[in-house]
Amino acid sequence: MRAYRALLRKDLLLELRGRELVPAMVVFVVGALVLVRLGLGGERLAGGTRAATGLLWVVVVFTSMLALVRSFAQEREHGIWDGLLSAPADRSAIWAARASATFLFLGVTQAVALPLFWLFFLQDGRSPSLAVLAAALALADLGVAMLGALLAGLVSNVRAREVLLPVLFLPFALPLVSVAVRMTVDSIPPQNGGLGALQGLGFLALYDTIFALLGWALFEYVVED
Amino acid sequence: MNGSHRARPDRATAAATAAALLMALALAMIFFYVPTDVSEGYSQRIFYFHVPIALTTYFLFTWGALNGARFLLKRDMSLDLKSYVPMHLGVIFGSLTLVTGSIWANIAWGTWWFWGDTQLTTFLIIFLFNCAYFMLRFSVEPGERRATFSAVYAVLGVGLIPLSVIGVHVAQTNDLIHPITFNENGVNMDGSMFLTFLVALAAMITLAVTMYLIELRGKRIDDRLRAIRRLAGGEA
Amino acid sequence: MSSPERAPAVRCDGLTRRYGERVALNAVSLTVAPGERLLLTGGNGAGKTTLLRVLATVLRPHAGEVAIDGHLLPRDARQVRPAIGYVGHEPLVYPVLTARENLELYAALYGVGRERIEQVLDLAGLNGRGADPAGELSRGLRQRLGLARAMLHSPSLLLLDEPTSGLDEDGRERLRGVLDAHHGAAVIATHEPDWFAGLEHGRLRLAGGRAA
Repeated sequence: MRAYRALLRKDLLLELRGRELVPAMVVFVVGALVLVRLGLGGERLAGGTRAATGLLWVVVVFTSMLALVRSFAQEREHGIWDGLLSAPADRSAIWAARASATFLFLGVTQAVALPLFWLFFLQDGRSPSLAVLAAALALADLGVAMLGALLAGLVSNVRAREVLLPVLFLPFALPLVSVAVRMTVDSIPPQNGGLGALQGLGFLALYDTIFALLGWALFEYVVED
Repeated sequence: MNGSHRARPDRATAAATAAALLMALALAMIFFYVPTDVSEGYSQRIFYFHVPIALTTYFLFTWGALNGARFLLKRDMSLDLKSYVPMHLGVIFGSLTLVTGSIWANIAWGTWWFWGDTQLTTFLIIFLFNCAYFMLRFSVEPGERRATFSAVYAVLGVGLIPLSVIGVHVAQTNDLIHPITFNENGVNMDGSMFLTFLVALAAMITLAVTMYLIELRGKRIDDRLRAIRRLAGGEA
Repeated sequence: MSSPERAPAVRCDGLTRRYGERVALNAVSLTVAPGERLLLTGGNGAGKTTLLRVLATVLRPHAGEVAIDGHLLPRDARQVRPAIGYVGHEPLVYPVLTARENLELYAALYGVGRERIEQVLDLAGLNGRGADPAGELSRGLRQRLGLARAMLHSPSLLLLDEPTSGLDEDGRERLRGVLDAHHGAAVIATHEPDWFAGLEHGRLRLAGGRAA
């Protein structure tokens, strides 16, 4: 537990001092949203708020790739893995700290992106329920961060890691995004049945639980040489 | 060593024989025994290929993941091979699933069987996972590290299968409580249809096992040749 | 000092380690008795770093046996790690974190109290530089920080990879002091074996992954 806190503190300090990840993520999200907005000219997005909500989730997934690909960059570039791996602390603590830090970075990025999304794409005075969207984002971010930290550890020493990480992650993003989109879209008034928020959150919670267990159990194998 | 060599060809031969017999029986039943489906007509029979092949693909991935997990625990390189081969066969059976599935989608439109959109989407996710598995394997040099990474990813895939099935179903229908498939089919299917289906399933699985044993043997011979060449060339 | 029943500090029997097709360590055998210091010599690429990394439990042996204090690796690696102090080629510190912050991280990983941090800073002669980012320290001072990091948990086995490289006279004197005061065993890879005169108990030369 002390190891986890110290590792998390280290990850947060690295970001605070280095400022590599969060600014890039924010710029990417803003740029993507602006790009789509401009690309539409003055037109509304066909499909209205529903399509826009789907777009938001796609952008979220790609932004998380940015954060994950650079995970463990410091450890790799300065050979620090040897220091972490020869220490008696549980290797899964490294995974947990990296997942927690990534979760926080995603949250910060989305806090910036959401108001922009509202501004650019809010149509017909209708929008997805903010509470549902925030809850879905929180749970989805958690799942992405946990699975992502595991995969980031895996590709850390592989040559083609920038390309490989998104490829490995994508199949796992699909069920997540499917449910998240459906859930947020169905929260747009008028609601006439459709996927209840609780059911969607339930699935996201299941997703998170499975990858929490798998990430915690498998990280050891991924970093051991 | 010689005794075990004699045993292995027997297993592959036995499996091949069983597969051939079952396949012949299945084909006979599919084309001559089973009654024509009332709503979909003669070409509905592709169901008896498509679904068993799909189920066999899931079975192969689970088997690959299982051996992957065993590799992580035992670090026995032969388990890496035993995990890789089912995943490789999964590509073959998976492609066949997608092909037969799209043929069938063209023919059928009254989905009494509920094998519509959601199943294909789920399967596509798993198929993409399989392709990613091979990208991973190609990106790492052969050895224990590649075996470890492959095993970890295969195990993750097993987590993906239920999540994919549930997730896509949840996202595309409104029905969370009753998963579509088999309980209803088993009840709705006529006895002879169900029997034919089971025989076809058994045939596909036996075929997969046969291909597994043959490919495993082939890869082992490859490995041994490589080791001999390395010794003959002298170690670095 | 060491009773006959005590296990050797380090024992390797036919240790083999590969990188892909290349064999980095080829059936290396050695024994280090408790309290003894073994020097590893040999050219670049001889396998010294690989051997130290295997002993540090960072790499698993592919064949052969490795035991530290009687504990077999990799099976008992977790038990062994608290007793090992590893100084690698790189000082294993984060450049954007201060010296003290780096030590705080490792203190947490090793379960060591914070007062120890000041002690090792003193030991390495880095007292005034604790608040400096590790990346801004000179090569020699960073090397000293690496040594301080390894001493945090008062390890019984020291594994040092080229510890003298980059050190100035003051640094070298401190290294000698640390080794003098250290009563456990040590395995030291070096290109300057003569500097260790008086400190070494044995030497092993590696060439092409084999014990020469």
